[in-house]
Amino acid sequence: MTRLQAILDRRAILEILVRRDLRVRYARSILGYLWTIIDPLAMALIYFMIFVVIFKRSDAGHTPYFLFLIVGLLVWQWFSASITETGRALIMEQKLVRSTNLPREMWIIRVVIAKGIEFLLSLPILVVFTAWYVMGGEAHLNWRLLLFPVAVVQQFLMLVGFGLILAPVTVLVDDTTRVVRIIMRMMFYVTPIIYVIERAPDWLQTIFMFNPLAGLLEFYRAGFFEVPINWAAVAVSWVMTFGLIGFGLHLFGRLERAVLKEI
Amino acid sequence: MSDPVITVDDVGIEFYRSRKRKLSIREMVLKGTDTSSKDTFWALRNISFDVGEGEAVGLVGPNGTGKSTLLKVIAGVLIPDEGQATINGGVAPLIELTGGFLGELTARENIYLTGGLHGLTKEQIDERFDDIVDFAGPQVRAGLNMPFRHFSSGMQSRLGFAVITSLDEPVILVDEALAVGDQAFRNKCYGRMEELLSAGRTLFLVSHSPADLKRFCTRGIYLSGGRLVADGPMDEVSDRYAADQKKA
Repeated sequence: MTRLQAILDRRAILEILVRRDLRVRYARSILGYLWTIIDPLAMALIYFMIFVVIFKRSDAGHTPYFLFLIVGLLVWQWFSASITETGRALIMEQKLVRSTNLPREMWIIRVVIAKGIEFLLSLPILVVFTAWYVMGGEAHLNWRLLLFPVAVVQQFLMLVGFGLILAPVTVLVDDTTRVVRIIMRMMFYVTPIIYVIERAPDWLQTIFMFNPLAGLLEFYRAGFFEVPINWAAVAVSWVMTFGLIGFGLHLFGRLERAVLKEI
Repeated sequence: MSDPVITVDDVGIEFYRSRKRKLSIREMVLKGTDTSSKDTFWALRNISFDVGEGEAVGLVGPNGTGKSTLLKVIAGVLIPDEGQATINGGVAPLIELTGGFLGELTARENIYLTGGLHGLTKEQIDERFDDIVDFAGPQVRAGLNMPFRHFSSGMQSRLGFAVITSLDEPVILVDEALAVGDQAFRNKCYGRMEELLSAGRTLFLVSHSPADLKRFCTRGIYLSGGRLVADGPMDEVSDRYAADQKKA
């Protein structure tokens, strides 16, 4: 708790770091922002072509399927970018980490916030497509849209938890980055981004439920689609989020000494 | 003596001897064991001392005896395995002078970034900005909007020194940083250090130059092999160290 207080006391520094990240990313070119949008759009287009145009299975997810894809892919982009970057958070900034005695959890939190702001900046695409489908009468918004910001908070906590585990482990164990890259590739397909859990066979559904992203996406999508929420997945997801944060803080504290000697 | 500003209490820190101590998943899988070396040594052990407000302490000892490690422990960028070091207030570390600077940002942005990381608000930096740049010299002023990596290493160190010494922290740690720059800049650094000392700051200086040590420090701490050998008036400690060096 005192650590949390120490981090809160240094909000201003956190802000400086996040601003710097965003400046480095966006200051150079206007394209910097466009990439944030082009990437998920291109992915959505690819999966739309494969599932709807080629396989004629627009029932893989909720309808309209393209909107379903967009929500999932934007969320995934924040998730995957944060996981990759937090793994390297301490190594990339080793000069800064070595010359300041800030609470070192900040190096992870700042990455998650910066990527989270990029996620928020990419939401206009979601707004545009939602408006398009709503006006076409194909989509109907509902009050559960209020769950969207809740999901943002949950994803932030979850990513900080993952980051607190990954960053010190990457410093101490070689090849972590490679292993994470492969796991992330698999994660994409075991996460209900391009399909809904209910499409999978029963035995797989049980396994999928333990993916914390499954419940998270339930909240993100609830406001856009008139389908019941899978509350079991949501519960698992919240339990895992707090588990990750708790374990992450514990592990980070344990490994901090060794990490500082190593970088 | 007033309340100590720095309290080092039975500090010990253990390092791995081999450089390659990272665990490798590949090796763990192929050989079934963790082949990294378990061979360790204590870079520092049983180090205890207090430093009072306004004291100027010189740290001497041969290479590889833990002087820089001790400074890092005091700066809070290494955590000791035994004992603890407590600082009453913040620290301005002149350890890795250009540590907080980023090559891709301009010198101006870097001043705000580093100042901010060490706890200055934007307004405080605005106030000090001109002093910092003046101190760093006309070449730095001319290149304020240039990416920092285009600076020569001398200019980089100058700017680093200028920013860190303009912090308000009560304790200043200096790790052989006075050796940077040309003679003119070094004289400027000496002047700045004396100003800070007379303003009542606490100084902790690592140096191999007896002249520098005697100029700034009143108290000397002598480390050898990670142990505290002597702690007393600078002149005596420095002479004892010099005598030991001759014997070796």
